[in-house]
Amino acid sequence: MSALAVEDLHVWFDLPGGRELHAVQGIDLALARGERLGLVGESGCGKTTAILAMMGLLPPSASVAGRVLLDGVDILAGGDRTMRPHRWTDIAMVFQGAMNAFDPVKTVGSQITEPLERAGIASGRAARTRTGELLELVGISAERQDRYPHEFSGGMRQRAAIAMALACEPKVLLADEPTTALDVMVQAQILELLVRLTDELGLAMVLVTHDLPLVSQACTRAAVMYAGRIAETGTTRELHHAPLHPYTRMLFQATPDLHGTGAVRSIPGAPPRLDEPTVGCPFSPRCDRAFAPCATTRPPLRSAEPGHLAHCHLEGGA
Amino acid sequence: MRAGWSYVGRRALFALITILVAISLNFVLFRLAPGDRTSALRCQGCTQEFKAQVRAEFGLDKSVPEQYLVYVKETATGNLGRSFLTQQPVLAELWKPIRNTIPMVLLGTLFAISLGLTLGVVSAWRRGTITDRASVWSGLLLYSLPTQWLALMLIFYAAGPLGLPTSDIADPYLAYENPGWWPELVDRLEHMVLPAATIGLVLFGEYTLITRSSMLESLGEDYILTARAKGLSNWQIVRRHALRNSLLPIVTLIFLSLGFILGGAILIETVFNYPGIGLQLYESVSERDYPMLQGGFLILTVSVILMNFIADLLYFRLDPRVTE
Amino acid sequence: MSPQELAEAVVPATADTRRRIPLWGFLKGHPQAAIGAAILVVFALVAILGPWLAPYGPREQVGPIFGTPSNPHPLGLDDAGIDILSLLIYGARITLIVGFAGALVAVVVGGTIGIVSGYFGGRIDNLLMRVTDYFLVIPDLVLLIVVASIWGRSLRNIIIIIGLVYWTFMARLIRSQVKVVRERAYVKRAQALGASHVRIITRHVLPQVLPLILAQTVLMVALAIFLETAISFLGLGDPNAPSWGRMIENAFDRSAISYGAWWAIVPPGLAVAIVIMAFNMLGTAAEDALNPRLKVSHLLRRHFRMRPLPDREDPR
Repeated sequence: MSALAVEDLHVWFDLPGGRELHAVQGIDLALARGERLGLVGESGCGKTTAILAMMGLLPPSASVAGRVLLDGVDILAGGDRTMRPHRWTDIAMVFQGAMNAFDPVKTVGSQITEPLERAGIASGRAARTRTGELLELVGISAERQDRYPHEFSGGMRQRAAIAMALACEPKVLLADEPTTALDVMVQAQILELLVRLTDELGLAMVLVTHDLPLVSQACTRAAVMYAGRIAETGTTRELHHAPLHPYTRMLFQATPDLHGTGAVRSIPGAPPRLDEPTVGCPFSPRCDRAFAPCATTRPPLRSAEPGHLAHCHLEGGA
Repeated sequence: MRAGWSYVGRRALFALITILVAISLNFVLFRLAPGDRTSALRCQGCTQEFKAQVRAEFGLDKSVPEQYLVYVKETATGNLGRSFLTQQPVLAELWKPIRNTIPMVLLGTLFAISLGLTLGVVSAWRRGTITDRASVWSGLLLYSLPTQWLALMLIFYAAGPLGLPTSDIADPYLAYENPGWWPELVDRLEHMVLPAATIGLVLFGEYTLITRSSMLESLGEDYILTARAKGLSNWQIVRRHALRNSLLPIVTLIFLSLGFILGGAILIETVFNYPGIGLQLYESVSERDYPMLQGGFLILTVSVILMNFIADLLYFRLDPRVTE
Repeated sequence: MSPQELAEAVVPATADTRRRIPLWGFLKGHPQAAIGAAILVVFALVAILGPWLAPYGPREQVGPIFGTPSNPHPLGLDDAGIDILSLLIYGARITLIVGFAGALVAVVVGGTIGIVSGYFGGRIDNLLMRVTDYFLVIPDLVLLIVVASIWGRSLRNIIIIIGLVYWTFMARLIRSQVKVVRERAYVKRAQALGASHVRIITRHVLPQVLPLILAQTVLMVALAIFLETAISFLGLGDPNAPSWGRMIENAFDRSAISYGAWWAIVPPGLAVAIVIMAFNMLGTAAEDALNPRLKVSHLLRRHFRMRPLPDREDPR
């Protein structure tokens, strides 16, 4: 059974004038223990909204449909009410720009101790000890827990945020752009840390990013999102070398390669508006292999190998 | 332990320099103004001996730069001159009214703080609801009313129904009856209520608006989202994270406004004939008692500087991000 | 520079300098501002058309001292038997003139210093901000009292002092905005192309800062009127300028309270309050529109809603 399974998740946002923005349009994901799934896409494709929805952290202007299953139990069923007990204890998140995720007027340690005490895992001195252990786990010395967030460097704060997320030993970790705004050396450290933690602790992790090489490095599987929908899912090898969806192929082609082979080709055009219903395949205006049915009919689900799926009209790959 | 001395030291030095600037400004205003105001030449009821004494004390026959140095030295040692009216030292004459103003202002400020902060927090919590809208509008309204007019309205419409006195600081006849300290205290408080209430109302509008926006700003920060992700309830989020963060700017703003409220007290004391430093200043103007005016201006400016300094200190204590 | 930053640097070069806030859209979106603006238009008209609107003259005695409100004097008479409604109409002029003039001085002085300070930075910036700090601590009303009593009670003095006291707020605000604008790509481009400072300031910096200056000016007018009313009340206003503040002062001095003549005090005070409030409403709404600092609050009383799955159009 999957540690985390998302079934047909939709998110709408209310817009002024009674309209709606359909930000997430029915996505499916499945994640096993110890697995790292990358969720990639351009800015605005809905990936952040999707993972916020998985923890129920949406504003009141949002409405949600679908299921989020933790070990088979739908925690989304009752909205915020059923979500709350699972937050942090079963599913936790490391936010984008975790540099600001800490309350500046409290010590880092107290903010890690907080969920420990709330969940009844430890309190007082035991909590302090546990906090120290968590910090050591991410490579920060334990006595730094009495320092304030501004005394940590950006990379350290990110690591501390990861430690904080792991405090209650969740089954699932959602990481939203954990390495953006960090320099390359620190990026590598954080990635290495995440890989080690999922291996050692059996965490299931969803890594949201727009950085493809990162996904290739750190994740075994990935899902490519476009305009609120999942274009293709598969292992990173499959996506890189045998993509089924043209968008996946173009994404990899648009990424500069360190060896400098091949031209860097950008994808012309812009994503569609999500406040109007989409007809056919949302990528068709920008697709270089679009043909007759693409603009009119919703693309079917195709599969090459088990676990390698795409929503595309093309047969036999991109 | 953060090495805080250089921060405190720097702010203290800044305060001292600002005081020096204020003293200099005072000198320029009064000494160099058209028509000499300080030599007592313009004083109608002053004796020749008095004028001579003033001239000697402040070196009024020397050159201007020398006069300046004398003035600074005298002021630094607490000699602010002598009142034209009473010929007593200005500082001593100002002390009595200051002693009257301070409790009145404190009372009003306490009222404003407790009401304003509470309403501001509630308003931010219930953003967009009727409560919020009502408090924002009433805050804006109170903030816009002329202080003296508000005082007059209270006299017209509140004094009567509440049976409160509307002038002076105490019932002049009560002292003759010698009833003991409690009735005298009550009498004093009764006379203080309306002026303090006016100050309270004037400040409360401002405090509500400031608290609300500071709170809203805090509630939009990322660490609040983190707190929510950790499963904290709304109340826990406010109590543990939002309050402390939003109180920082509010506290400093309160102290900054305290410095200026002493100026606003002038209007209120004039209306209520309350013998505080505000009324004293007003009377010094009509009596052309320039040394008193000069002394009062300096005292009030120094109190603003002092309040700023205290605000700096508080900020240093409360915000761990403020270091060297 | 990453490719993204490069793209951003090139594209909005045209977008930013052409950004204008449509006035009508702004008023429609902010009812607060619309109400404020409407009130001010009314008062402005009253001020301009004063002499034609007022039923009686400002020095014309038409009845007894503190005559009670009745036809044909709906607001009663003041301490000299003059019609209060007429006084109110004439007073609108003085009050608004002082308000605008004082604010203008503050804006011009403060704006200039703010722009210079923010644009050039470095030592000039430090020096100017130090000076600003010293001015900030001077209590406004007290300074006005001192100056008025020494240098005379003219309108000109009042306007100057208002400007001298309030330029500091302007300067600080403008300075921080200028610093932000200065870092924008198109300004750097202009500098790289060798444009003179004056040219850059007038053509690139000023248009971006102008909306903020305007919004602050509006708030400043409110402060100026407040101050003028206060100083008049203390008997230090211009004796030849019958502003609303002086009306309140007159009434108070001549014992309107004892007479119970609320009509001599309530209307002018209310007029000041309404005008100040209108300026505040307009100014704060404008400021909010220009500085969208208010982020979404993460504290929620309601939560997101659950809804049933939509029907699928095509079979998967």
